[in-house]
Amino acid sequence: MKTISYISAVLIFSILLPNSILAQSPPAYALENVTIHHSDGNLIESGTIIWRDGVIVTVGSDAEIPFDAYSVIDGGDSLHVYPGFIDGLGTWGSPEPPENPEQPDDPGNPGYDRAGIQPDRSASDHLNASGSTITDVMKTGITTANLGLKGYMLAGQSDLFFLNGEETPDFLFKESTGYQFAFKGSAGGWGSRAYPTTTMGVMAQFRQLMYDAEALQDHIQYFADADGTIQPPKREEVLESLFPILNGVANLFASLDSPENFERLMILDEEFDLDVIIVSGKSIHFKFSELNEMDIPVLASIELPKKPDWMKDDDDDSEDEDPREPESKEEERYRERQAEAYKAAAENIRTLLDEGVTVGFTSIGLEADKLHEHLRGLKKEGGLTDDEILQLLTINTAEILDISQTLGQLEPGFNASFAVFNSPFLEEKAAVKMIISNGVIHEF
Amino acid sequence: MNFKPNILSQKMNRRDSNFLKTIKSVVSLFGLMIAFMVSQPDWVAAQETGSVLIENGTVITIAGENLANTDVLVEDGIITEIGENLDVPRGVDRIDATDKFVMPGIIDAHSHLNGVDVNEATAPATPQVTMKESIDPNNVSIYAALAGGITSINLMHGSANVIGGRNATLKLRYGQDQQGLIFEDAPQTVKFALGENPMRVHGEGSGIHPSTRMGVEMVIREYFDAAIDYRRNRTEYLDAREEYNQAGEGTPPIPVAKNLRLEVIADIIDGNILVHCHSYRADEILMLTRIFDDYGVENYTFQHANEAFKVAPELAEQGAHASVFADWWAYKFEVYYSTAYNASILNENGVVVSINSDDDELIRHLNHEAAKTIRYGNTSENDALRMITLNPAIQLGIDEYVGSIEEGKHADITIWNGHPLSVYSVNEKTIIDGVVYFDRENDADDMRLDRAVSATENYKDTQSRAYQHSDGRDADACMQDVFILFDSHENRQAFHQEFHNHTK
Repeated sequence: MKTISYISAVLIFSILLPNSILAQSPPAYALENVTIHHSDGNLIESGTIIWRDGVIVTVGSDAEIPFDAYSVIDGGDSLHVYPGFIDGLGTWGSPEPPENPEQPDDPGNPGYDRAGIQPDRSASDHLNASGSTITDVMKTGITTANLGLKGYMLAGQSDLFFLNGEETPDFLFKESTGYQFAFKGSAGGWGSRAYPTTTMGVMAQFRQLMYDAEALQDHIQYFADADGTIQPPKREEVLESLFPILNGVANLFASLDSPENFERLMILDEEFDLDVIIVSGKSIHFKFSELNEMDIPVLASIELPKKPDWMKDDDDDSEDEDPREPESKEEERYRERQAEAYKAAAENIRTLLDEGVTVGFTSIGLEADKLHEHLRGLKKEGGLTDDEILQLLTINTAEILDISQTLGQLEPGFNASFAVFNSPFLEEKAAVKMIISNGVIHEF
Repeated sequence: MNFKPNILSQKMNRRDSNFLKTIKSVVSLFGLMIAFMVSQPDWVAAQETGSVLIENGTVITIAGENLANTDVLVEDGIITEIGENLDVPRGVDRIDATDKFVMPGIIDAHSHLNGVDVNEATAPATPQVTMKESIDPNNVSIYAALAGGITSINLMHGSANVIGGRNATLKLRYGQDQQGLIFEDAPQTVKFALGENPMRVHGEGSGIHPSTRMGVEMVIREYFDAAIDYRRNRTEYLDAREEYNQAGEGTPPIPVAKNLRLEVIADIIDGNILVHCHSYRADEILMLTRIFDDYGVENYTFQHANEAFKVAPELAEQGAHASVFADWWAYKFEVYYSTAYNASILNENGVVVSINSDDDELIRHLNHEAAKTIRYGNTSENDALRMITLNPAIQLGIDEYVGSIEEGKHADITIWNGHPLSVYSVNEKTIIDGVVYFDRENDADDMRLDRAVSATENYKDTQSRAYQHSDGRDADACMQDVFILFDSHENRQAFHQEFHNHTK
């Protein structure tokens, strides 16, 4: 396959040769004398990557730079190239949801928007890529992001983008990768009275939405069957946007952290046969067997849990440090259990991987400039190897988003998206020197 | 997979003091014990049952006479034989109950013990929500309740709404997940609420109905009528759809969407869901009996019902039940006219009456609450105990399974070191489905489940339970979280002050 695409590229090229090369043929780009890190952990020292028109053409140690190469960057054997990191679900560039929403006249029927039921919203329609937001994300090595919206129970549909700074909206790669769901009542919480305000309210409202969508879908069908001779359906965008979930053809990105919310989600799954992808899942290791059995992937948060004050040392925020020795056997035992709880939570992803659960990466809830700190924490206290962390960020996330034929690996035929670091990416001093996103070079 | 060197334990070791080293063996033994006990849920199946012979105790059957020197044989979670000197089948554990009292597990017909959220207080009718989806299975209060001999609770929705959420009847199988706590064969129940709470939340707070007791009645009737219409329309639609699908031709039907709220209300009217109604005043109690007469609703329970004694004969005639406090009142205006004789009067009039806690502290000694009916109303010992066992079981529709010690019933049993109505007696073992969930002999200091251990909680904050910070019981547990909805902070403070002035 690789050979074929290489040969055809050459063939096409030679046919075009008599004419103006620069005008008619996409130019080649190359990175040479770089350390290439494959997502499976294999290394190529002093390697070369050549890409053309956003697609990787050659990866190897003795690749020849094409004569028409438009730009060749010599890494001088000091640069490390990784497959571009993929953010499984992020809300970069999303508008902020209203902070002080108005109290509805009828709290039990606040309207879909006010209730946080906005599955008709698409991230690409609301993406604000102005300023440095997206560039800051690119500086972490993320080249591709599944962008969702900030919101509540059903915040909207996510879209997959190649990150290209302020021009990101023009680089939509895959539309509507799924729907965002969270056990979140409406904006403003308890005091602002808009149904649903509780977890059980969210459960009930999700069901009602599905029932209403089903009735509308049937009505639309019946109206068509009857050639318009029956009462026409009252069209409703929110309900119509739910048809793909109802019909089992859309992913549901369900944000949750507790095993109890996972149990609740499984109740809904049983009733509506959802295609669930867990997002964040901070304590989801308690549910590894269910995740494994039901083949449910997790886009995991890479944030470590907070430490108890007594466990903090000089490396941590020293203000909260509690150097006190335990005062009783009971307190000693209490600390032991806290330490066990911390360790179990820190090794959440470790446990999931050991149990055969597919784990990818989500940036939800994190700041771009803290991302690498979190990744190093994952290595230090989360029990993950460098290779495993790289796989989370690349091939695993690509698999979960069903784009692993195109992204997540540095192989000919794959999309030319990679991150170039000045040292192995988990080292303290590591910095992203440039990223190549869909073939476009961004230097920092 | 290889684990990285455990940085954490290195840090911990650095913190080891000499003192700790000397007690290390003790601690690790203790730790092992806890680890064994709390890790049990990982391998316990959702419906794990046990087999055990409880030997030579005084068996308080509730259903009949007390039986001295009697054995109770439990096989696979079911009481299979009650008698003297029973043979022990192979593989069955034995518990010596000599000089002890064996009674049915206590059932609390009104609790919010481990609810995550209690009130979806955004509409006067919210039966579409269910407490079965608002269970915190990790709350250590469950274990405290087990220590008090509680085996089942009615985990209730709050009283903010006229027609509240559905409740969850639970077995306190501490250590299991949400599904594992649910009493499988229990019928569905639902919370209703009359009087001040829904009036304040929706009338005063949201400026919608109801704002009066008349309005409360109107809400129920309106929703009942709507549910009847809905069920008819929905049924007609489903029939027409089936016909259309089978024929493959003709005029297609206009869909009627399934409506979860009205489905539940229609099921209430059809008698498939039991109503437990928060109420205080006699007039509103009779009001609801009239509504239910009109719609043919039977087999319902008034919760709190402080003035039920005024209408005890009427309730008996209706077959309505009451689940009351032993002696708690005056925490708001509609609860001033009350008496400690309430349960006894209702009982004498033939009303099925239970004593409930509605409180995470009081749930630990409902036996004392039941004993008050003897102190005040001269109720018989068996009837007093019936008020915390068989009667709440009847009210929850689970009396064919639990509430008494009879052959064929679930082995939900407690074993006391003295008569359970004595303040000197303590519960020694709490057994559910034949499995011991509380054992005073193996009662570790820290019974939190692994899932409930917080890495960041401050040890000092764990030294007491929430109820120990107040003067006693919560002002109104049913209104958990919702005061904010109808009152200013200042008014709430004044309200609490008034409550404390009246209860001191």
